[in-house]
Amino acid sequence: MFQEKLKEFEPVFYPKSIAVIGASATSIKAGSLWVGDLRSAGFPGPIYPIGTSGGRLGDLEILPNLRLIPGEVDYVIVAVPRQSVLELLDDCAAKNVKAVHFFTAGFSETDTHQGRKLEEQMLEKARQGNFRIIGPNCIGVYCPEHRIPFLMGILGEDGSVGFVSQSGGIATKLATIGIARHINYSKGVSFGNGIDLDASDFLQYLAADPKTKVIGAYLEGTRDGTRLFKTMRKVAEVKPLVVWKGGGTEAGAQAALSHTGSLASSAAIWSAMLKQVGAIEVNSLEELTDALLIFQQLGRGQGIRAAIIGGLADGGGGNSVAAGDACMENGLKVPPLSYETKHKLSELLGEVGNILCNPVDVSQAQFRGLATLFQAIDLVVGDPISDIVLIQEDVEILLPIYSPKGVEEINEFVIELGRMQSKPIVVVLPPSSVEAERLQIEQKLLTASVPVFCSVERAAKAIYRLNQYSRRQEAR
Amino acid sequence: MVKSQNLLTEVESKELLKKAGIPVVEAKLARSKKEAISLSREMGFPVVLKISSPDVVHKSDSGGVKLGLANAAQVGKAYSQIISSVKQAYPEAGIDGVSVQTMAPPGVEVIVGMSKDPQFGPVLMFGLGGILVEILKDVSFRIVPVTERDAREMIKEIKGYPVLQGYRGQKPASVPALEQLIVKVSQFVEKNPQIKELDLNPIFAYPDRAVAVDARIILE
Repeated sequence: MFQEKLKEFEPVFYPKSIAVIGASATSIKAGSLWVGDLRSAGFPGPIYPIGTSGGRLGDLEILPNLRLIPGEVDYVIVAVPRQSVLELLDDCAAKNVKAVHFFTAGFSETDTHQGRKLEEQMLEKARQGNFRIIGPNCIGVYCPEHRIPFLMGILGEDGSVGFVSQSGGIATKLATIGIARHINYSKGVSFGNGIDLDASDFLQYLAADPKTKVIGAYLEGTRDGTRLFKTMRKVAEVKPLVVWKGGGTEAGAQAALSHTGSLASSAAIWSAMLKQVGAIEVNSLEELTDALLIFQQLGRGQGIRAAIIGGLADGGGGNSVAAGDACMENGLKVPPLSYETKHKLSELLGEVGNILCNPVDVSQAQFRGLATLFQAIDLVVGDPISDIVLIQEDVEILLPIYSPKGVEEINEFVIELGRMQSKPIVVVLPPSSVEAERLQIEQKLLTASVPVFCSVERAAKAIYRLNQYSRRQEAR
Repeated sequence: MVKSQNLLTEVESKELLKKAGIPVVEAKLARSKKEAISLSREMGFPVVLKISSPDVVHKSDSGGVKLGLANAAQVGKAYSQIISSVKQAYPEAGIDGVSVQTMAPPGVEVIVGMSKDPQFGPVLMFGLGGILVEILKDVSFRIVPVTERDAREMIKEIKGYPVLQGYRGQKPASVPALEQLIVKVSQFVEKNPQIKELDLNPIFAYPDRAVAVDARIILE
């Protein structure tokens, strides 16, 4: 599907060379920052700074005009005021450039006639010159594999998650949260006003891109809803597509239906559209990154029956009650453990009653040693009543009871458990007063492909969404 | 009263819908009391009379609808009442006459509507009739073209879905029949981009079929 897009977008995500217009040797300009970021990131091809100041940026000579570049240029980043963009595009055409990214803002988003007119002229020049435009008013392309960072040198590891974002701010957050939580991106893009290449184009590319396994999107609106609708329908057939639609107020009244007047709002229409195409709708940056993380780590859902191992050391109590509620409220099922498992657990831990039901309290293991704890966890995981297991670890309670070494062993066991059998394990690590230690554990688990969330609510939502996609695929 | 040049009458709307294979309770225009009585006899009692005017959108608000008329005398009286109360309410309204149709047996009331979204074009809406749609806003939407699966999902999505499965002795509504109806409405509006708004309200859904009792189309 959309295989032709791979070749078309090669110069966008894998340019052989990049020119940056708006670099300066004498003052701090966005263009200079971009050149520096590309160099520090280790971009593998030639970088050409262009600017009127002359002089050098490091060992790179700043040329006054694009046409003076000795070699070929695939991709151009424009970071100069809008007044000079049309002339620049003539240079791009003359230089046979493939794609032009406009960091420059001040176009249709200012809602002025002048801004819109300028965009029309830019588009016309792009058509004539046979190159594509990204933006304007955006931060462009992110491709860790090809060492293209976002502005300010943001660059994470190469991975399997792709994203498109109308907003540069959200795109940057996706990238930085990705670095923090090991959500590793194949490609990302912020396309701003999207006068030429827009969400539909990039979604088509990501659907075809063999490196991308799951796609996230942040959208605020669309210039061609019909095309977006058709595109998303196709994209969601082949890859999980998680969409966060921001800003739900525009044009609500016009979208209202004849008899029912104000019933229809634009937000309701967007939700309906996303459901219809089989995309997974989320409502915040947290939900978007949580969903991308779980899709990256687990691929697809095996079911929504959760076994919850509450409070590894502090006992379940209210935490278990809350965990059970959080799962049920977010669409998961929390069936009781089988009689056999409960019986074995009670023999092992010397406990009776409902605390061995589900959520399960295994805290009594602390008096019998780690081996007993591991056996108890094994028993819960092995019970066929669940499709997925949530383990709550409260680091500040675990540390004094099991010592740092014991806690390390527990997490190594969890990682091993995740590897050894097919039932997915998810860890919930709530924020605590020992953040440094907690973060260390989180990093270790994430690196080993165990999804980690900071609350049961967020874990439950993500698990539900993972299964939402699988169920839709099965029903196809 | 909404003054609209582009509002098709119920009779015109239903003719178009019927041609598109969408089940409607057929309505015919009577321009006189005499004609109303003869059409009623032809169709069979009980019948319903409604004002037919391009200028009156909400027919029942102005006394423009009379239900369950069981004989010629009642039809004659209703005809006069409708004409006089609409004239009183909207002295400026142009009146074509009165539409005559058989009184459909009671079923589960649902509505299907279409309007145009500025970003996605024609959008269909589905909901249960009456208070559930007007007060609780219990409706679902899908972008045209709506597939059978989309239609099924939009029917099942509303909170009032159990009502369609029958409650308190009321007979259930045929979900497949509603699906078919929605898909046909989607095809109809796709083929006719000049339609700006469409309203099938109410549709009566029965255990084996569904039929639009009233219909309204507004052109661009």
